[in-house]
Amino acid sequence: MQITTFAAIDIGSYEVGMKIFELSSGKGIREIDHIRYGIELGRDTYVAGKISNEMLEELCLVLLDFKRIMKEYQVDGYRACATSAIRETRDLLLILDKIRVRTDIEVEVLSNSEQRFLGYKSIAAIGDSFDKIIRRSTAIVDVGGGSVQISLFDKDALVTTQNLKIGMLRIRERLSRVEQQTTNFASVLNEMISDELRSYKKLYLKDRVIENMILTGDYVRHFLDREDYPGAEDLAHKADGITCMNREAFSRLYEQAMSVTASQMAERFQMPAEHARLILPSIVIYQRLIEETGAQTIWLPGLNMSDGMAYDYAEKKKIFKSRHNFENDIVEAAKNIAKRYQSSRSHVAGTENLALTIFDKMKEIHGMGRRERLLLQISVILHDCGKYINMNRTSECSYSIIMATEIIGLSHREREIIANAVRFNTREFASFEEVSFGSGLERADYLLIAKISAILRVANAMDRSHKQKFKNVKVTRKEKELVVQVDTVEDISLEQGLFSDKAEFFETVFSVRPVIRQKKHI
Amino acid sequence: MEAIDVTDYQYYKNRELSWLQFNERVLEEARDKNNPLFERLKFLGITASNLDEFFMIRVASLKDMVNARYTRKDIAGMTPGEQLREILAVTGNLVNLQYSTYSRSLLPLLRQHGLYVVQEHEDLTREQGAYVDAYFRENVYPVLTPMAVDSSRPFPLIRNKSLNIGALLIKKDLRTDKKADGESGKDKKKEKNKEPELEFATVQVPSGLPRLVRLPDLPDGTRVVILLEEIIERNMEQLFLSYDIVCAHPYRIMRNADLTIEEDEAEDLLKEIQKQLKKRQWGEAIRLEVEEKMDKRLLKLLRKELSIKEDSIFGINGPLDLTFLMKMYGMEGFDALKAPAHKPAQVRELPSDCDIFEQIRKGDILLHHPFQTFEPVVRFVKQAARDPQVLAIKQTLYRVSGNSPIIAALAQAAENGKQVSVLVELKARFDEENNIIWAKMLEKAGCHVIYGLVGLKTHSKITLVVRREEDGIRRYVHLGTGNYNDSTAKLYTDLGLLTCSALIGEDATAVFNMLSGYSEPRSWHTLSLAPLWLRDRFLQLIRREKEHAQKGEEAHIRAKMNSLCDQEIIASLYEASMAGVKVELIVRGICCLKTGIPGVSDNIEVRSIVGNFLEHSRIFYFYNNGAEEVYCASADWMPRNLDRRVEILFPIWQEELKREVMHILDILLEDTVKAHVLTAEGTYEKIDRRGKAFLNSQEYFTMEAKERASQEEPQEKRRVFIPEEPVE
Repeated sequence: MQITTFAAIDIGSYEVGMKIFELSSGKGIREIDHIRYGIELGRDTYVAGKISNEMLEELCLVLLDFKRIMKEYQVDGYRACATSAIRETRDLLLILDKIRVRTDIEVEVLSNSEQRFLGYKSIAAIGDSFDKIIRRSTAIVDVGGGSVQISLFDKDALVTTQNLKIGMLRIRERLSRVEQQTTNFASVLNEMISDELRSYKKLYLKDRVIENMILTGDYVRHFLDREDYPGAEDLAHKADGITCMNREAFSRLYEQAMSVTASQMAERFQMPAEHARLILPSIVIYQRLIEETGAQTIWLPGLNMSDGMAYDYAEKKKIFKSRHNFENDIVEAAKNIAKRYQSSRSHVAGTENLALTIFDKMKEIHGMGRRERLLLQISVILHDCGKYINMNRTSECSYSIIMATEIIGLSHREREIIANAVRFNTREFASFEEVSFGSGLERADYLLIAKISAILRVANAMDRSHKQKFKNVKVTRKEKELVVQVDTVEDISLEQGLFSDKAEFFETVFSVRPVIRQKKHI
Repeated sequence: MEAIDVTDYQYYKNRELSWLQFNERVLEEARDKNNPLFERLKFLGITASNLDEFFMIRVASLKDMVNARYTRKDIAGMTPGEQLREILAVTGNLVNLQYSTYSRSLLPLLRQHGLYVVQEHEDLTREQGAYVDAYFRENVYPVLTPMAVDSSRPFPLIRNKSLNIGALLIKKDLRTDKKADGESGKDKKKEKNKEPELEFATVQVPSGLPRLVRLPDLPDGTRVVILLEEIIERNMEQLFLSYDIVCAHPYRIMRNADLTIEEDEAEDLLKEIQKQLKKRQWGEAIRLEVEEKMDKRLLKLLRKELSIKEDSIFGINGPLDLTFLMKMYGMEGFDALKAPAHKPAQVRELPSDCDIFEQIRKGDILLHHPFQTFEPVVRFVKQAARDPQVLAIKQTLYRVSGNSPIIAALAQAAENGKQVSVLVELKARFDEENNIIWAKMLEKAGCHVIYGLVGLKTHSKITLVVRREEDGIRRYVHLGTGNYNDSTAKLYTDLGLLTCSALIGEDATAVFNMLSGYSEPRSWHTLSLAPLWLRDRFLQLIRREKEHAQKGEEAHIRAKMNSLCDQEIIASLYEASMAGVKVELIVRGICCLKTGIPGVSDNIEVRSIVGNFLEHSRIFYFYNNGAEEVYCASADWMPRNLDRRVEILFPIWQEELKREVMHILDILLEDTVKAHVLTAEGTYEKIDRRGKAFLNSQEYFTMEAKERASQEEPQEKRRVFIPEEPVE
């Protein structure tokens, strides 16, 4: 059996961890070691926007030791990801460079949506039981050091995901003064997060009834999983191999935790006092969410981002096939955004079909792959959403909406590519300097924007009337021509008239001229 | 009925006094006529070295407390001052018994068996005298450093534990004719008194020379030996040629020289002592041993110069420092007077040519040392060092032998490109220097060396071998109750477990992650670690038995350890006993628990086994309402083990091995030869053997291990035809 050893390094806001995994087609993912080192990088970042040199040096020493351990396990590959504690520093690039020079470890800074996607992947990796849970409406709640991510599922697919900056470390730091002055820390905490949660509920939850709530992160699970404090066995049980508890049990636990101070809690639940101080805010957040959503069952799979990284790696290396269709989640999330901004469903569907067909026929010429196809698809789905704000400046508004809306599973870079492709759907294409100004986009990204935009323009032009006149489209490529043969009896003069304009840009990009042929019906 | 407070002082025994009782039990072995003569010598030697260590660590510590006016009471309600007084009184009796054993029992018997120890040089014949004088001139004289004391030369530094000869001298010319030339003022004064001034001189008996010097055999073949200090005493005049020797006597001091603050003491005490230390001239003398018939003037002088109290002076009727008896034990030619040499048996599951890892995969393996050889543990590391599939070896080292094959194997492994992590505990008492040397050597070889943890001694004995196999990483773990020391493994009884259980493996990985400074795991599967979890675990296990008993169910605890002096554990044992739990304890050394207190400890029985091998294994058995649980550990039930050390408690799961460990406990509890039972009066009595079979548990285990080794390992039947041997 071929076994790949993989190390996932997670540089979080209060802890640096490394998990070592064995990945194989036969046994899936097997965690063989988990090394954790407590270092509150976020404490500096959230307050001062920077990480002190001492802390950075401490981090480098830990990473150097991680390298030694990776050597010990003779790992085949590793991935080191940092999240908000590094992301939100002002001197991000300098920090990354220092780490690279000192340790030779390439740290990747994840955008929030990438980070959450990995966290989400870790849960999806548990497979069948996950699919079973999300068949009923489900919320995934990921309480991190910096923020809380709430993702809603309905009928197997991700509906929406939102990020609230009420992470446990951030809250603790913000309330650290209050903590000493009040005897009822919990109610202050409650007050603080209530406002954010109320807005969230109003905008996104609406009348949705949530049945299941999945809590990610391994802190809480292990806290609930301990058998060595009284009453633990009454609270949690296992279903489908996952630790879970019902709403009432969680309330009891909440009451228990609220009735003690952090140090008492540490003693009672046999954990370091530092953990207790972090767990307390998260329990309040969970409890409030359970109250707001009405969730009945709380699931605690006990996995974290590292598990998602392993899953992602295995997927990319084709060690095993994904059990869950993550691309579908991204598509569904995009469709939900389009729906919120009242884009025409039929127009989008028609254009999507056309665009993807063109993409597939042009494979040899454009050289783009599966991921780019997905970006094209999302661009098509979202290209029209700006209309909701301003009919005359659709593309600018679509651009803004896309840039402001998180799509779980897409990196910031990918989202920017999509936003730009949509922007240039109707606007004249700009130079690289203009496009990349003020953003992190590189030349390759610019080319990608051009290619996606070119296809989007052509596909969009073919449904200018939004009447889906083009049915049974057949696309063939002949030498320097892309022939779009349409089978319709309707008048397509509008489309044909506007087409030549779009075709020109397409030809500039691909050196292939798209032409429309109408199949004659006798 | 009045509620019983199980923490009441009256229910506890002072640990020092209990330790002295242990040393008495060892002394009893020296007095036991059933033991071979040379074994008795060895036991007597052990009591002497034990007592030395006891003074250096415990008594010194108590003296510090008294000096610091620290008056906190111990577990039994005694102040340090009270303890010290009692200890010194008891020690006096113990020492008397040591020497009467030596002089009255052992010396005459040795003479009968052909070994004549010349007690005093005055007893030498003329020929023997000439022989030792020649020996003195050739071998001893050149290395001696005699030191005299007068106004210009201060009292010299007498080294801790060194044997010395003190003498009072008179200058020859002063006695005969007094010349007035160049007399000092002091001399003038003396002249007035007409008393010749006595000068003090001292010489250290060189520790580099053998203490026992062999003389020519007697015509009947009797071997003759004399102690080195007697030879020096006889030749004292050679050292101080211009003096007359008024008297010369050996003496020995024990100093509180090393900074040995006992880890068991409270932190506030530590601060107190640190203050004291600054004030104190180094090395306060805490014990002075002198020849009983020492000249009163000499004794007075020593007492004054060493500023030592009367009660810390031990007048001794015999040679000082009986540890030479251990050397005497090593003398060639008296094998008949020794116990037959012990040869540890082979382990059936681990024949010398086997693949250890393969054998472990077949099932956990229990090792019972020294009855079974320690060699597989060494081989485990050695094989791992060579095995190309092994990725990493991790080990904790507390005390290792000189020239340790384990160290060599670890270094080899690092050279072979394995990742080797070793935690070397530098704070292992008396082994500090030794351990630093090994640690440096390992580092040089490329090992990752961790020099212990701040504030904690790492006492756990664990080895982890990470191996990459066909189906992924597999971890092989050795857990033990005794040190990775191939020398002591021949003398100490210990248990070891070799396993590749995934759960134990994961926990072992977590242990080493923790020892490397990483966070504790979120939860443990199997192991319990001190100082964070072990105490609670033990208390919980004891409490569970109590709860079973309270429900009227059968409840039973059996525990074997070296020392029992943790108040919280003892209190919970009392509570268990009160609830009706049957508690059988095998505690070799200190035991602060009292048995037979009506209504408190009626159900508790304590026995101590002192035999040829040092009882060292720690085993814990809980009946658990029929679902019996058996554990082994590196920890005793002492505060220091539970609170200030890294210790590991590990379960013995595999049914067969569990039975095996329970069988070991059974046999230990049936011992009628080497076991002593703690009575309600607080004394230890040998088992009343009437009506009982003669059973020496250590001999039993020796036999059993041998028998087992000779049994063939059950082999799978081979499906091949075997050709007949040719017929002659």
